[in-house]
Amino acid sequence: MPGMTSVMDFRRRPTLPGRGRVRDDGSMTITTTAFTGDGRRTGSAPVVSFANVSKTFGTVRAVADLDLRLHPGETVALLGPNGAGKSTTLDLLLGLSRPDAGTVELFGTSPQQAVQDGKVGAMLQSGGLMEEVKVRELVRLACDLHPRAYPVDQVMEAAGITGIADRLVNKLSGGQEQRVRFALATAGENELIVLDEPTTGMDVTARQTFWGTMRRQAEAGRAILFATHYLEEADAIADRVVVLHRGRILADGSAAEIKARAGARRIVFDLDGEIPAEALRGLPHLTSVEVSGRTVRLQSRDADATVHALYGLGLYPRNLEVAGLGLEQAFIAITDAAAAEDAR
Amino acid sequence: MKTLIQLEIARTLRNKKFMFFSVLYPAALYLLVAAGAKDTGKVGDTGLTFPVIYMVSMATFGAITSVLIGNAERIAKEREKGWVRQLRLTALPGRGYVTAKVASAAVVSLPSIVVVFLVAATAKGVRLDAWQWASLVAVIWAGSCVFAALGVAIGYLATGDAVRPIVMVVYFGLSILGGLWMPTAAFPEWLRRIAEYVPTHAYAGLGQAIERGDAPGAKDAAVLVLYLVLFAGAAAWLYRRDTHKN
Repeated sequence: MPGMTSVMDFRRRPTLPGRGRVRDDGSMTITTTAFTGDGRRTGSAPVVSFANVSKTFGTVRAVADLDLRLHPGETVALLGPNGAGKSTTLDLLLGLSRPDAGTVELFGTSPQQAVQDGKVGAMLQSGGLMEEVKVRELVRLACDLHPRAYPVDQVMEAAGITGIADRLVNKLSGGQEQRVRFALATAGENELIVLDEPTTGMDVTARQTFWGTMRRQAEAGRAILFATHYLEEADAIADRVVVLHRGRILADGSAAEIKARAGARRIVFDLDGEIPAEALRGLPHLTSVEVSGRTVRLQSRDADATVHALYGLGLYPRNLEVAGLGLEQAFIAITDAAAAEDAR
Repeated sequence: MKTLIQLEIARTLRNKKFMFFSVLYPAALYLLVAAGAKDTGKVGDTGLTFPVIYMVSMATFGAITSVLIGNAERIAKEREKGWVRQLRLTALPGRGYVTAKVASAAVVSLPSIVVVFLVAATAKGVRLDAWQWASLVAVIWAGSCVFAALGVAIGYLATGDAVRPIVMVVYFGLSILGGLWMPTAAFPEWLRRIAEYVPTHAYAGLGQAIERGDAPGAKDAAVLVLYLVLFAGAAAWLYRRDTHKN
């Protein structure tokens, strides 16, 4: 159940304000603005809806039979290797290109209409900036064009570009340009924010500031969809990860689910005394066993059951550590498997 | 939308190189072309002298040059850089974009017209009534908007490297066919009939009527308005429809 996965997801980073609240009895309530399953349960119009969408360029099917729904308050990462159809998907979503088949809807209307209503803020990789103007002038333009704009100074402050307000746009560094793009995408009150590789060219600090701002947007109930190459960003930021490969969705779930789907979790512990190697190999759900000195490294498809059985053996594991595979490893495993299947 | 118009005008004014050539080039060309013309020689049955005819021709020609080529090339470049894609993700309607582009072009065409007139009056001794000067400036300036809109449309039809040859063909074709370089009186009958409905011909016709001391022709004005609607409509439609990716 999708709602449950987000609960687990939130518990992973309980310090995030406004997302979930742990009650005294240990159960959890989720604030309505940030609840993944909310739209689904109440039947309100999804923010984004792709129904059997296909788009072909020449002989290449960039997007094939894509079905995807985004709901209010969701932060969704779109992952995929180069050429997976991420950019095409975002173009279709924003009405910058039209599908050959199927329908794309935003807030129950056409993407073009939603954009004209100022419901969507977007930061495109391919989005250039107007040249020969100053940063402040450009932000003022974006604010002027937005039907529910924030004050110019506030937008610049949030994007961290107050210091370069009087610089000419065509004299900026790559990272500064990204921040200006971000300011343009957040010039007013949007209900959906679309980001294509938003932190490319930013240094670590800028990246953190950026995602901090994005988090506040998500907490305010905006849906956020971002494509990224940095898997740790998807892991840390997104409630939901959609893995695209050759224009199809390979996986769709929380980062934890995606990792689980790729299989194994890692279990590491030390044992005193003689290592009962045979007994360890008999543990359930294992995919690999490795013993070096007193340290045992296991990989399991169901770490909970494995650890339970481990204690059942009467062993006393010390320094026990259970960790998931990184999202990156999971991602590689999933896309490799799909590529192998395609090759067959 | 007001901010966009202001910005488009501001950045055009900041582009000093573009301004310099656009403003001075028609006047320089006028001096070259009118240099050999006798100040008193009448042209055909118009009853006007060469310096006067060429003054209006060069002012119209210069206005077209700056707005048509300037707009088409700048827009094609902006599309390549992706700025138009970004702009299309705002609530800006297509007509807003076209209006801003036409307005910024008008900022360039006005001084180019005035400079040609100043040069004609000082160097070639052209004398007209005050109302003629005023309405010539007004008509040629207003008419340049038609070609600015055409420039926007071409900027959308053509990409990158293709835009220059395409805009040149359109530009020379319209200039010659419309009789900006030679009077259409020299054309064969069938071509002259076609030329009457060419926007440049109507554009030049408005100016020539004022030179003769007549009121501008209603037919010429109607033809121009029709083309303005057509070009601006096409430009707005192309702006919204554009799917160019680079």
